[in-house]
Amino acid sequence: MKYHLPSSMDEYEELIGRMGAASYVILAGGTDLIAGFDGGRPVPEHLIDIKAIPRMNGILEHREHVEIGALTTIEALRRDEHIRNHFPALAQSCEDFGSVQIRHRATLGGNIVNASPAADTLPALFIYNAMVKLRGIQGERVVPVQDFILNPGEVDLQRGEILYSIQLPRSECRSLFHKLGLRQAMAVAVVNYAIGYTIRDHHFTHLTVAAGAVAPRVVYLKTFMDAVADERIALDRAIALVDNDIAPIDDIRATARYRRTVLKNLLLNTLTELLADDRKR
Amino acid sequence: MIIPENWDYFDLTVRVNGQDYRERIPTHLRLLDFLRDVLHLTGTKEVCGEGECGACTVLLDGMTVNSCLVLAVEAHDSEVVTIEGVAEDEDIAALQQVYIDHHAIQCGYCTPGFVLSAAALLRDEPEADPESIRKGLVGNFCRCTGYQKIVQAISDFRK
Repeated sequence: MKYHLPSSMDEYEELIGRMGAASYVILAGGTDLIAGFDGGRPVPEHLIDIKAIPRMNGILEHREHVEIGALTTIEALRRDEHIRNHFPALAQSCEDFGSVQIRHRATLGGNIVNASPAADTLPALFIYNAMVKLRGIQGERVVPVQDFILNPGEVDLQRGEILYSIQLPRSECRSLFHKLGLRQAMAVAVVNYAIGYTIRDHHFTHLTVAAGAVAPRVVYLKTFMDAVADERIALDRAIALVDNDIAPIDDIRATARYRRTVLKNLLLNTLTELLADDRKR
Repeated sequence: MIIPENWDYFDLTVRVNGQDYRERIPTHLRLLDFLRDVLHLTGTKEVCGEGECGACTVLLDGMTVNSCLVLAVEAHDSEVVTIEGVAEDEDIAALQQVYIDHHAIQCGYCTPGFVLSAAALLRDEPEADPESIRKGLVGNFCRCTGYQKIVQAISDFRK
Protein backbone atom coordinates (compact mmCIF):
# COMPACT_ATOMS: atom_id res chain seq x y z
CA MET A 1 0.00 0.00 0.00
CA LYS A 2 1.39 3.36 -1.08
CA TYR A 3 0.78 6.04 1.52
CA HIS A 4 0.39 9.61 0.26
CA LEU A 5 0.15 12.75 2.35
CA PRO A 6 -0.44 15.73 0.03
CA SER A 7 0.22 19.03 1.80
CA SER A 8 -2.07 21.17 -0.38
CA MET A 9 -5.01 20.86 -2.79
CA ASP A 10 -2.59 21.49 -5.67
CA GLU A 11 -0.40 18.63 -4.53
CA TYR A 12 -3.46 16.42 -4.12
CA GLU A 13 -4.67 17.20 -7.64
CA GLU A 14 -1.22 16.59 -9.06
CA LEU A 15 -1.09 13.25 -7.27
CA ILE A 16 -4.50 12.19 -8.65
CA GLY A 17 -3.34 13.20 -12.13
CA ARG A 18 -0.19 11.09 -11.81
CA MET A 19 -2.04 8.03 -10.53
CA GLY A 20 -3.86 7.32 -13.79
CA ALA A 21 -6.37 4.53 -13.31
CA ALA A 22 -4.89 3.13 -10.10
CA SER A 23 -7.38 2.50 -7.31
CA TYR A 24 -7.13 4.62 -4.20
CA VAL A 25 -8.92 5.25 -0.94
CA ILE A 26 -9.12 8.60 0.88
CA LEU A 27 -8.18 8.59 4.56
CA ALA A 28 -9.68 11.19 6.93
CA GLY A 29 -10.24 10.13 10.57
CA GLY A 30 -9.99 6.45 9.68
CA THR A 31 -12.35 5.16 12.38
CA ASP A 32 -14.35 3.14 9.87
CA LEU A 33 -11.61 2.58 7.33
CA ILE A 34 -8.81 1.24 9.48
CA ALA A 35 -10.93 -1.32 11.33
CA GLY A 36 -9.96 -4.20 9.08
CA PHE A 37 -6.34 -3.24 8.41
CA ASP A 38 -5.30 -6.03 10.78
CA GLY A 39 -5.51 -8.53 7.94
CA GLY A 40 -9.28 -8.87 7.81
CA ARG A 41 -9.64 -7.08 4.50
CA PRO A 42 -7.14 -6.44 1.69
CA VAL A 43 -5.57 -2.99 2.10
CA PRO A 44 -5.99 -0.53 -0.80
CA GLU A 45 -3.28 -0.07 -3.43
CA HIS A 46 -3.00 3.65 -2.66
CA LEU A 47 -4.06 5.44 0.49
CA ILE A 48 -4.36 9.23 0.29
CA ASP A 49 -4.31 10.86 3.70
CA ILE A 50 -5.91 14.30 3.32
CA LYS A 51 -5.20 15.50 6.85
CA ALA A 52 -2.26 17.70 5.82
CA ILE A 53 -4.34 19.76 3.37
CA PRO A 54 -4.73 23.16 5.05
CA ARG A 55 -8.02 24.90 5.86
CA MET A 56 -10.04 21.68 5.92
CA ASN A 57 -10.25 21.61 9.70
CA GLY A 58 -12.29 24.22 11.55
CA ILE A 59 -15.48 26.24 11.59
CA LEU A 60 -15.85 29.55 9.76
CA GLU A 61 -18.75 31.87 10.53
CA HIS A 62 -20.04 33.75 7.49
CA ARG A 63 -23.03 36.07 7.38
CA GLU A 64 -25.24 33.77 5.32
CA HIS A 65 -23.90 30.43 6.44
CA VAL A 66 -21.46 28.57 8.61
CA GLU A 67 -18.77 26.57 6.85
CA ILE A 68 -17.38 23.47 8.52
CA GLY A 69 -14.17 21.97 7.16
CA ALA A 70 -14.68 18.30 6.26
CA LEU A 71 -11.84 17.27 8.59
CA THR A 72 -13.41 18.93 11.65
CA THR A 73 -13.69 16.22 14.29
CA ILE A 74 -16.93 15.19 15.93
CA GLU A 75 -15.45 16.17 19.31
CA ALA A 76 -14.60 19.68 18.03
CA LEU A 77 -18.17 20.07 16.75
CA ARG A 78 -19.61 18.80 20.02
CA ARG A 79 -17.64 21.39 21.98
CA ASP A 80 -18.13 24.35 19.64
CA GLU A 81 -20.21 27.14 21.23
CA HIS A 82 -21.48 28.50 17.93
CA ILE A 83 -22.67 25.09 16.75
CA ARG A 84 -24.30 24.41 20.13
CA ASN A 85 -26.17 27.71 20.03
CA HIS A 86 -27.15 27.92 16.39
CA PHE A 87 -27.23 24.31 15.18
CA PRO A 88 -28.15 22.39 18.34
CA ALA A 89 -29.38 19.29 16.52
CA LEU A 90 -25.91 18.87 15.02
CA ALA A 91 -24.20 19.41 18.38
CA GLN A 92 -26.59 16.90 19.99
CA SER A 93 -25.88 14.33 17.26
CA CYS A 94 -22.19 14.60 18.17
CA GLU A 95 -22.92 14.16 21.89
CA ASP A 96 -23.55 10.42 21.97
CA PHE A 97 -21.49 9.74 18.86
CA GLY A 98 -19.24 6.67 19.31
CA SER A 99 -16.90 7.14 22.25
CA VAL A 100 -14.48 9.84 23.35
CA GLN A 101 -11.67 8.06 21.49
CA ILE A 102 -13.75 7.74 18.31
CA ARG A 103 -14.88 11.40 18.48
CA HIS A 104 -11.26 12.56 18.71
CA ARG A 105 -10.53 11.02 15.28
CA ALA A 106 -13.86 10.76 13.42
CA THR A 107 -14.61 13.68 11.11
CA LEU A 108 -17.85 15.26 9.90
CA GLY A 109 -16.77 14.69 6.29
CA GLY A 110 -16.06 11.04 7.00
CA ASN A 111 -19.46 10.50 8.59
CA ILE A 112 -21.10 11.94 5.47
CA VAL A 113 -19.00 10.11 2.87
CA ASN A 114 -19.37 6.82 4.75
CA ALA A 115 -23.11 7.26 3.99
CA SER A 116 -24.40 4.89 6.63
CA PRO A 117 -28.22 4.77 6.74
CA ALA A 118 -27.80 5.28 10.51
CA ALA A 119 -25.14 8.04 10.33
CA ASP A 120 -25.67 10.23 13.39
CA THR A 121 -24.89 13.61 11.83
CA LEU A 122 -26.96 13.20 8.66
CA PRO A 123 -30.50 13.83 9.99
CA ALA A 124 -29.30 17.15 11.44
CA LEU A 125 -27.52 18.10 8.21
CA PHE A 126 -30.73 17.26 6.30
CA ILE A 127 -32.96 19.54 8.38
CA TYR A 128 -30.45 22.40 8.14
CA ASN A 129 -30.42 22.02 4.33
CA ALA A 130 -26.67 21.55 4.44
CA MET A 131 -24.69 21.87 1.23
CA VAL A 132 -21.50 19.93 0.62
CA LYS A 133 -18.61 21.56 -1.21
CA LEU A 134 -16.69 19.11 -3.39
CA ARG A 135 -13.31 19.95 -4.84
CA GLY A 136 -11.21 18.06 -7.31
CA ILE A 137 -9.45 17.98 -10.62
CA GLN A 138 -12.61 19.09 -12.47
CA GLY A 139 -13.00 22.11 -10.19
CA GLU A 140 -15.51 22.80 -7.49
CA ARG A 141 -19.22 22.10 -7.04
CA VAL A 142 -21.68 22.58 -4.21
CA VAL A 143 -24.60 20.15 -3.84
CA PRO A 144 -27.36 19.63 -1.26
CA VAL A 145 -26.39 16.86 1.17
CA GLN A 146 -29.60 14.95 0.41
CA ASP A 147 -28.59 14.69 -3.26
CA PHE A 148 -25.03 13.75 -2.35
CA ILE A 149 -26.04 10.59 -0.44
CA LEU A 150 -27.06 7.96 -2.99
CA ASN A 151 -27.20 4.56 -1.30
CA PRO A 152 -25.74 2.87 1.77
CA GLY A 153 -22.01 3.57 1.51
CA GLU A 154 -22.40 5.33 -1.83
CA VAL A 155 -22.14 9.07 -2.49
CA ASP A 156 -22.02 11.30 -5.55
CA LEU A 157 -18.26 11.75 -5.45
CA GLN A 158 -16.44 11.69 -8.77
CA ARG A 159 -12.97 10.25 -9.22
CA GLY A 160 -10.49 12.86 -8.05
CA GLU A 161 -12.99 14.73 -5.90
CA ILE A 162 -12.95 15.12 -2.15
CA LEU A 163 -15.56 16.45 0.22
CA TYR A 164 -13.97 19.75 1.19
CA SER A 165 -16.47 21.46 3.49
CA ILE A 166 -20.05 21.53 4.69
CA GLN A 167 -22.12 24.71 4.52
CA LEU A 168 -25.02 25.28 6.89
CA PRO A 169 -27.33 28.13 5.83
CA ARG A 170 -28.36 30.29 8.79
CA SER A 171 -31.93 29.79 9.90
CA GLU A 172 -34.30 31.08 12.56
CA CYS A 173 -35.81 27.65 13.18
CA ARG A 174 -35.36 25.81 16.41
CA SER A 175 -34.07 22.28 16.22
CA LEU A 176 -33.21 19.11 18.11
CA PHE A 177 -31.84 15.60 17.56
CA HIS A 178 -32.83 12.34 19.19
CA LYS A 179 -31.21 8.93 18.97
CA LEU A 180 -32.38 5.56 20.18
CA GLY A 181 -29.62 2.95 20.48
CA LEU A 182 -29.50 -0.36 22.29
CA ARG A 183 -27.24 1.37 24.79
CA GLN A 184 -26.32 5.02 25.12
CA ALA A 185 -22.67 4.90 24.05
CA MET A 186 -20.91 3.11 21.23
CA ALA A 187 -24.16 2.04 19.64
CA VAL A 188 -25.38 2.30 16.06
CA ALA A 189 -28.81 3.94 16.07
CA VAL A 190 -31.95 1.78 15.98
CA VAL A 191 -33.63 4.99 14.84
CA ASN A 192 -32.49 8.60 14.97
CA TYR A 193 -34.13 11.81 13.87
CA ALA A 194 -33.65 15.55 13.76
CA ILE A 195 -36.43 18.10 13.84
CA GLY A 196 -36.38 21.71 12.66
CA TYR A 197 -39.45 23.68 13.74
CA THR A 198 -41.18 26.95 14.39
CA ILE A 199 -44.14 27.13 16.74
CA ARG A 200 -46.61 30.00 16.48
CA ASP A 201 -49.96 30.21 18.28
CA HIS A 202 -49.34 26.73 19.68
CA HIS A 203 -48.99 25.16 16.24
CA PHE A 204 -46.09 24.08 14.11
CA THR A 205 -45.95 26.69 11.36
CA HIS A 206 -42.84 25.02 10.06
CA LEU A 207 -41.72 21.45 10.61
CA THR A 208 -38.90 19.49 9.00
CA VAL A 209 -38.14 15.97 10.17
CA ALA A 210 -35.33 13.77 8.87
CA ALA A 211 -34.90 10.23 10.18
CA GLY A 212 -32.10 7.68 9.99
CA ALA A 213 -31.89 3.86 10.15
CA VAL A 214 -35.42 3.58 8.74
CA ALA A 215 -34.57 3.49 5.01
CA PRO A 216 -31.51 2.86 2.80
CA ARG A 217 -30.72 6.57 3.18
CA VAL A 218 -31.62 9.18 5.75
CA VAL A 219 -35.07 10.44 4.66
CA TYR A 220 -37.30 13.44 5.16
CA LEU A 221 -40.67 12.42 6.62
CA LYS A 222 -42.28 14.39 3.85
CA THR A 223 -45.95 13.36 3.91
CA PHE A 224 -45.99 13.58 7.68
CA MET A 225 -44.39 17.00 7.97
CA ASP A 226 -46.51 18.48 5.18
CA ALA A 227 -49.69 17.24 6.86
CA VAL A 228 -48.67 18.72 10.23
CA ALA A 229 -47.58 22.07 8.80
CA ASP A 230 -50.82 22.35 6.81
CA GLU A 231 -52.76 21.66 10.01
CA ARG A 232 -54.98 19.35 8.03
CA ILE A 233 -54.90 16.74 10.74
CA ALA A 234 -53.99 16.58 14.42
CA LEU A 235 -50.58 15.31 15.41
CA ASP A 236 -51.75 12.02 16.88
CA ARG A 237 -53.54 11.15 13.65
CA ALA A 238 -50.89 12.55 11.34
CA ILE A 239 -48.24 10.36 12.94
CA ALA A 240 -49.56 7.31 11.02
CA LEU A 241 -48.41 9.03 7.81
CA VAL A 242 -44.82 8.42 8.86
CA ASP A 243 -45.30 4.88 7.55
CA ASN A 244 -45.47 6.27 4.01
CA ASP A 245 -42.11 7.98 4.36
CA ILE A 246 -39.95 5.13 5.62
CA ALA A 247 -38.84 1.67 4.49
CA PRO A 248 -37.05 0.03 7.41
CA ILE A 249 -35.53 -3.45 7.38
CA ASP A 250 -34.95 -6.19 9.95
CA ASP A 251 -31.36 -6.42 11.12
CA ILE A 252 -29.32 -7.45 14.15
CA ARG A 253 -30.36 -4.33 16.05
CA ALA A 254 -34.11 -4.30 15.52
CA THR A 255 -36.96 -5.52 13.36
CA ALA A 256 -38.58 -3.31 10.75
CA ARG A 257 -41.82 -3.45 12.70
CA TYR A 258 -40.12 -2.25 15.88
CA ARG A 259 -38.43 0.59 14.02
CA ARG A 260 -41.78 1.77 12.60
CA THR A 261 -43.48 1.65 15.99
CA VAL A 262 -40.67 3.21 17.98
CA LEU A 263 -40.05 6.04 15.51
CA LYS A 264 -43.72 7.03 15.52
CA ASN A 265 -43.97 6.81 19.31
CA LEU A 266 -40.80 8.78 19.98
CA LEU A 267 -41.60 11.40 17.39
CA LEU A 268 -45.14 11.90 18.62
CA ASN A 269 -43.81 12.18 22.15
CA THR A 270 -41.14 14.73 21.17
CA LEU A 271 -43.55 16.91 19.18
CA THR A 272 -46.26 16.76 21.85
CA GLU A 273 -43.72 17.85 24.45
CA LEU A 274 -42.56 20.75 22.29
CA LEU A 275 -46.14 22.00 22.00
CA ALA A 276 -46.75 21.50 25.73
CA ASP A 277 -43.57 23.46 26.56
CA ASP A 278 -44.75 26.22 24.26
CA ARG A 279 -48.11 26.45 26.05
CA LYS A 280 -46.36 26.85 29.40
CA ARG A 281 -44.58 30.01 28.31
CA MET B 1 11.44 -5.30 11.42
CA ILE B 2 11.66 -7.38 8.21
CA ILE B 3 9.38 -5.98 5.53
CA PRO B 4 8.37 -8.26 2.61
CA GLU B 5 9.26 -6.89 -0.83
CA ASN B 6 5.69 -6.40 -2.00
CA TRP B 7 4.90 -4.14 0.96
CA ASP B 8 5.57 -0.46 0.93
CA TYR B 9 7.37 1.12 3.84
CA PHE B 10 7.63 4.48 5.53
CA ASP B 11 10.38 5.99 7.67
CA LEU B 12 8.51 6.97 10.79
CA THR B 13 9.70 9.53 13.29
CA VAL B 14 7.72 9.52 16.48
CA ARG B 15 8.13 10.37 20.14
CA VAL B 16 6.79 7.69 22.46
CA ASN B 17 6.77 8.23 26.21
CA GLY B 18 9.29 11.04 25.82
CA GLN B 19 11.74 9.03 23.75
CA ASP B 20 12.37 9.66 20.04
CA TYR B 21 12.21 6.76 17.61
CA ARG B 22 12.98 6.45 13.94
CA GLU B 23 11.78 3.18 12.47
CA ARG B 24 11.16 1.82 8.98
CA ILE B 25 7.66 0.35 9.07
CA PRO B 26 5.08 -1.06 6.62
CA THR B 27 2.64 1.67 5.59
CA HIS B 28 -0.41 -0.36 6.63
CA LEU B 29 0.88 -1.07 10.16
CA ARG B 30 -1.54 0.07 12.84
CA LEU B 31 -0.23 2.25 15.65
CA LEU B 32 -1.20 -0.57 18.03
CA ASP B 33 1.05 -3.07 16.22
CA PHE B 34 3.86 -0.55 16.02
CA LEU B 35 3.77 -0.06 19.79
CA ARG B 36 3.49 -3.75 20.64
CA ASP B 37 5.49 -5.51 17.93
CA VAL B 38 8.10 -2.92 16.96
CA LEU B 39 8.71 -1.06 20.23
CA HIS B 40 7.68 -4.04 22.42
CA LEU B 41 5.51 -1.78 24.57
CA THR B 42 3.03 -4.52 25.35
CA GLY B 43 1.12 -2.63 28.03
CA THR B 44 -1.23 -1.46 25.25
CA LYS B 45 -3.69 -4.33 24.70
CA GLU B 46 -5.74 -5.46 21.74
CA VAL B 47 -9.17 -6.93 22.33
CA CYS B 48 -11.71 -6.14 19.63
CA GLY B 49 -9.49 -4.53 17.01
CA GLU B 50 -12.34 -2.37 15.75
CA GLY B 51 -12.58 0.58 18.11
CA GLU B 52 -15.37 -0.75 20.30
CA CYS B 53 -13.61 -1.71 23.52
CA GLY B 54 -10.90 0.88 24.24
CA ALA B 55 -8.31 -1.64 25.51
CA CYS B 56 -5.78 -0.19 23.04
CA THR B 57 -6.32 3.43 24.15
CA VAL B 58 -3.21 5.65 24.01
CA LEU B 59 -2.71 9.41 23.95
CA LEU B 60 -1.85 10.81 20.54
CA ASP B 61 -0.75 14.43 20.90
CA GLY B 62 -2.57 14.45 24.22
CA MET B 63 -5.87 13.04 22.99
CA THR B 64 -7.19 9.56 23.69
CA VAL B 65 -7.47 7.43 20.55
CA ASN B 66 -8.00 3.77 19.79
CA SER B 67 -4.56 2.73 18.54
CA CYS B 68 -6.21 -0.05 16.51
CA LEU B 69 -7.93 2.62 14.38
CA VAL B 70 -4.87 4.77 13.72
CA LEU B 71 -2.11 3.87 11.30
CA ALA B 72 1.42 4.22 12.60
CA VAL B 73 2.16 6.57 9.68
CA GLU B 74 -0.53 8.92 10.99
CA ALA B 75 1.53 9.33 14.16
CA HIS B 76 4.51 10.63 12.15
CA ASP B 77 6.12 13.61 13.92
CA SER B 78 3.64 13.22 16.78
CA GLU B 79 3.82 12.35 20.43
CA VAL B 80 2.37 9.14 21.84
CA VAL B 81 1.89 8.24 25.49
CA THR B 82 1.19 4.63 26.47
CA ILE B 83 0.60 3.05 29.87
CA GLU B 84 4.37 2.56 30.17
CA GLY B 85 4.71 6.33 29.86
CA VAL B 86 2.07 7.30 32.41
CA ALA B 87 3.53 4.92 34.99
CA GLU B 88 6.64 7.11 35.16
CA ASP B 89 4.63 10.18 35.98
CA GLU B 90 4.06 10.47 39.75
CA ASP B 91 0.46 11.72 39.59
CA ILE B 92 -0.73 9.13 37.20
CA ALA B 93 1.11 6.37 38.95
CA ALA B 94 -1.02 7.40 41.91
CA LEU B 95 -4.05 6.98 39.66
CA GLN B 96 -2.95 3.42 39.00
CA GLN B 97 -2.63 2.88 42.74
CA VAL B 98 -6.26 3.89 43.40
CA TYR B 99 -7.40 1.25 40.91
CA ILE B 100 -5.53 -1.27 43.01
CA ASP B 101 -6.79 0.15 46.30
CA HIS B 102 -10.41 -0.05 45.11
CA HIS B 103 -10.06 -3.51 43.56
CA ALA B 104 -11.05 -1.84 40.31
CA ILE B 105 -9.10 -4.51 38.46
CA GLN B 106 -9.92 -8.14 37.96
CA CYS B 107 -8.20 -9.68 34.93
CA GLY B 108 -6.53 -6.34 34.24
CA TYR B 109 -6.61 -6.52 30.46
CA CYS B 110 -8.78 -3.41 30.08
CA THR B 111 -6.95 -1.48 32.79
CA PRO B 112 -4.23 0.28 30.76
CA GLY B 113 -6.90 1.74 28.48
CA PHE B 114 -9.05 2.75 31.43
CA VAL B 115 -6.11 4.46 33.15
CA LEU B 116 -5.29 6.49 30.03
CA SER B 117 -8.92 7.55 29.52
CA ALA B 118 -9.20 8.50 33.19
CA ALA B 119 -5.92 10.42 33.12
CA ALA B 120 -7.06 12.43 30.07
CA LEU B 121 -10.48 13.02 31.64
CA LEU B 122 -9.05 14.29 34.92
CA ARG B 123 -6.59 16.51 33.06
CA ASP B 124 -9.47 18.16 31.13
CA GLU B 125 -12.10 18.02 33.90
CA PRO B 126 -10.39 17.90 37.29
CA GLU B 127 -13.78 18.28 39.00
CA ALA B 128 -15.49 15.46 37.09
CA ASP B 129 -18.44 14.02 39.04
CA PRO B 130 -19.42 10.32 38.78
CA GLU B 131 -21.75 11.10 35.87
CA SER B 132 -18.96 12.87 33.95
CA ILE B 133 -16.56 10.05 34.79
CA ARG B 134 -18.99 7.54 33.30
CA LYS B 135 -19.41 9.69 30.19
CA GLY B 136 -15.66 10.11 29.88
CA LEU B 137 -15.12 6.35 30.04
CA VAL B 138 -17.84 5.27 27.58
CA GLY B 139 -15.21 4.06 25.14
CA ASN B 140 -13.65 1.60 27.57
CA PHE B 141 -15.22 -1.77 28.29
CA CYS B 142 -14.60 -4.00 31.30
CA ARG B 143 -16.13 -7.47 31.22
CA CYS B 144 -15.02 -8.59 34.71
CA THR B 145 -15.66 -6.16 37.53
CA GLY B 146 -18.34 -3.88 36.25
CA TYR B 147 -17.83 -0.18 36.39
CA GLN B 148 -18.80 0.77 39.92
CA LYS B 149 -15.36 0.22 41.43
CA ILE B 150 -13.65 1.96 38.56
CA VAL B 151 -15.86 5.04 38.96
CA GLN B 152 -15.28 4.93 42.72
CA ALA B 153 -11.52 4.68 42.27
CA ILE B 154 -11.43 7.71 39.98
CA SER B 155 -13.80 9.69 42.21
CA ASP B 156 -11.61 8.88 45.18
CA PHE B 157 -8.45 9.91 43.34
CA ARG B 158 -10.10 13.23 42.52
CA LYS B 159 -10.45 13.96 46.26
